[in-house]
Amino acid sequence: MENRLTKFTTILFSTSLIFCLLFLLVHAHADQDQIDLTSLSLEELMNIEVTSVSKKPQKLSDAAAAIFVITQEDIRRSGVTNIMDALRMVPGLEVARIDASIWAISSRGLNGRFSNKLLVLMDGRSIYTPLFSGVYWDMQDTMIEDIDRIEVIRGPGASLWGANAVNGVINIITKRSGETQGGLATAGAGTEEQGFAGFRYGAKAGEHLSYRLYGKYFKRDDAVFASGDKAADQWHAGRGGFRLDWDPGSNDSYTLQGDISDGEAGETAREHFLTPPYSRISNNENDFKGGNILGRWTHTLSESSDLALQVYYDVTKRDNPIIGIKRDTIDIDLQHRVPLAEKHEVIWGLGYRYTKDSIENSDSLIFTPASRDDELFSAFLQADITLVDNRLYLTLGSKFEENDYTGFEVQPSGRIMWTPKEKVSVWSSVSRAVRTPSRAEHDARINQAVLPPGSLYMFSPAAQTALFASDDFESEELIAYETGIRFWPHHYLSMDIAAFYNDYDRMRTFETGSMLCEPSGSTFPACLPTDHVVIPSTADNKMQGETYGVELASDWKILDWWNIRAAYTYLQIQMHLDEDSTDTTSESAEGESPHNQFSLRSSADIGMDVDLDLWVRYVDNLKTQDVDKYITLDARLGWKPVQNLELSLTGQNLLDSQHPEFNPEIVDVIPTEVQRSVYGKITWEF
Amino acid sequence: MLNYLVKRISLTVIVMFTGLLMTDVHAESRSSQEYKVKSAFIYNFTKFIEWPAESFTDDTTINFCIIGDNPFGDDIQTIKGKTVKERELTVRQIKSIEDTGECNILFVSSSEKKNVSAILEQIKEKHILSIADMDGFARRGGIINFIMMNNKIHFEINVKASKLAGIQISSKLLKLAQIIE
Repeated sequence: MENRLTKFTTILFSTSLIFCLLFLLVHAHADQDQIDLTSLSLEELMNIEVTSVSKKPQKLSDAAAAIFVITQEDIRRSGVTNIMDALRMVPGLEVARIDASIWAISSRGLNGRFSNKLLVLMDGRSIYTPLFSGVYWDMQDTMIEDIDRIEVIRGPGASLWGANAVNGVINIITKRSGETQGGLATAGAGTEEQGFAGFRYGAKAGEHLSYRLYGKYFKRDDAVFASGDKAADQWHAGRGGFRLDWDPGSNDSYTLQGDISDGEAGETAREHFLTPPYSRISNNENDFKGGNILGRWTHTLSESSDLALQVYYDVTKRDNPIIGIKRDTIDIDLQHRVPLAEKHEVIWGLGYRYTKDSIENSDSLIFTPASRDDELFSAFLQADITLVDNRLYLTLGSKFEENDYTGFEVQPSGRIMWTPKEKVSVWSSVSRAVRTPSRAEHDARINQAVLPPGSLYMFSPAAQTALFASDDFESEELIAYETGIRFWPHHYLSMDIAAFYNDYDRMRTFETGSMLCEPSGSTFPACLPTDHVVIPSTADNKMQGETYGVELASDWKILDWWNIRAAYTYLQIQMHLDEDSTDTTSESAEGESPHNQFSLRSSADIGMDVDLDLWVRYVDNLKTQDVDKYITLDARLGWKPVQNLELSLTGQNLLDSQHPEFNPEIVDVIPTEVQRSVYGKITWEF
Repeated sequence: MLNYLVKRISLTVIVMFTGLLMTDVHAESRSSQEYKVKSAFIYNFTKFIEWPAESFTDDTTINFCIIGDNPFGDDIQTIKGKTVKERELTVRQIKSIEDTGECNILFVSSSEKKNVSAILEQIKEKHILSIADMDGFARRGGIINFIMMNNKIHFEINVKASKLAGIQISSKLLKLAQIIE
């Protein structure tokens, strides 16, 4: 341990040293590489690559909410190979890996593999599953180079996005096909990234129509268990897709896009039996396939008025020994923006979603009914009111939803933004959001651990703990109070600070019930000799809680060629069971999120077409999970020997050979640890 | 031990930041590459644009105005004072659309997003070259709009709008542009 820490210190000090050296370089070279751009021709200017920094603050300044935007440049320079790792740069989010393909991601705490208060969209398509009100992260991917940006809104987005956007909304937005013209090929390999390749080609078909096609594949190595032994969580997936953008006239634009994907990941799980050996560790395969097609029509009525209609169909299919599921979803959304008087604006919308699943039950996971279809009707209305020109804005809005589990839900919010002067904005908000029951909480029984015969008392039959869903399970409710300030003291420096207080009510608990005998159904302890005992815990809403925290993001462009971005997250969670609750596990949420997280990214173009990126992260310990605090360092060196070719070398989690990040809940998957890794990559544009 | 380490790192970071902040003055002259390049574009455009003689209030200047927040920062200074066709390029920031009287070029900042139509309506026949970098600007009647393609800056030109404004754009510039009907 001592040795490891010495190594930590050494590496960290070298990092600091590198920073300082870079800093000295700045002073030595400050004015040397200044080219007089005005001496260049238009053609030459059109060949200069720039990164759009202006878009970010302008967009941000408009919003009275805690927003963070990950740009394509952030993604490229960080060296991340998937969307989940990219989210690690966002303050307020908790991103943790359980095994190579299983993730726990949440906003503002309450994390878990099945965390259920975060809504995730990709190009307007919800990729959140009603099965457990969460996201199958292992299925979410696209051509990383074609992502335009990932917008992350912390706090409730429910008044616009609807139920389950309780603690945050993540919008993954890909570029328009007009911006991805030409060919792009990438390939790489390394220690954990055993091999990956991607290809995209974009072109124009006529004056107004552009399109692109892409395909990609990756194979990732299995990780290791805490013991250091090799696990069986290798993961590989392929996907392909297209996007078509058609702008026939000045007032209409159409988009049609779709993807298909197919992947397989291994996992190690503990299986439980009512007969000897009662429990066994086995390696399973998770198969997943997905497909979707989405069409969007935007019609501009006038500068301050437009109409958007979006329709999509999405199918996902997953298969493993615990559950097989196929889900079809059709979603229609209409949104209309109209001016109200001279300075105000109203946005309203209607939505309809139909989703149908069919589940293959197993001994450990039983859904009743095995197939179910649900409808969701929604409407929202939002008014943007200018109280004082260029100074004070008020946004009032609410979502109204009718769902098949809890009926009618209203989720209003009020936001106010004050810009006392240019480049400073202060905002505050109060909102209500609900998290409606998932299919699992309403219809599932999950069989968990088995106690061998004789464990309860002498000669007792085998006993199984089981989680039961409940038809009476209600929506969890949140009232959130938020405030924040953003300022740009100079155009090369921006600061964003947000604070929140969340007040939760009717949170999910699992209430321990009285034991029963199965399969006879007799009352315990009058079990038949052929019976086993079931120790049930049933879903209920007997917990309240508060969370509060502060999130800070800073973007500092020290020089043309050097950027530093820092993010800090502070979070506290307090949960209180109702007096009559018999739950024994749910309060542990208090210790399942880090109190402090820190991220510091340095991006430097060090000259000779070489980029150097360093990323240091600190994540506090998870008390109730017995996961230690950790510090990581990622480093990326990129080189463009010629205009259209980039070679890069990325090292991830360099500070230790392995570290744990999170333990799973509910389903007994054996977690694996994140290993140090290095990979090389070639990107060629043509 | 780890606590000690964390403290040490925080301290290093703080020291680094403080050190860097102290050299603020040095850094201030720099800003984003994007607007540096865009200001060079604008300087280049002036070489390919003909304004009618009556649009100039004097014989010595071409007046470049910015309405709304100035996204160029100090970078715009690099083109200030440059001579094009024996005229000196001046830069001024204007507060309201009423002040466009002497402007030959008007850059509409994205901070004026909500007022774009009103601004364009006001200047459409005034011999003013309107430039912006907002989605749909050229489509709505702006003359030149910067767009990003594969991280490179390109531009759209609305020919009809330029004719309405009585401004001649050379074919060389039109060739490089994406033409908006």
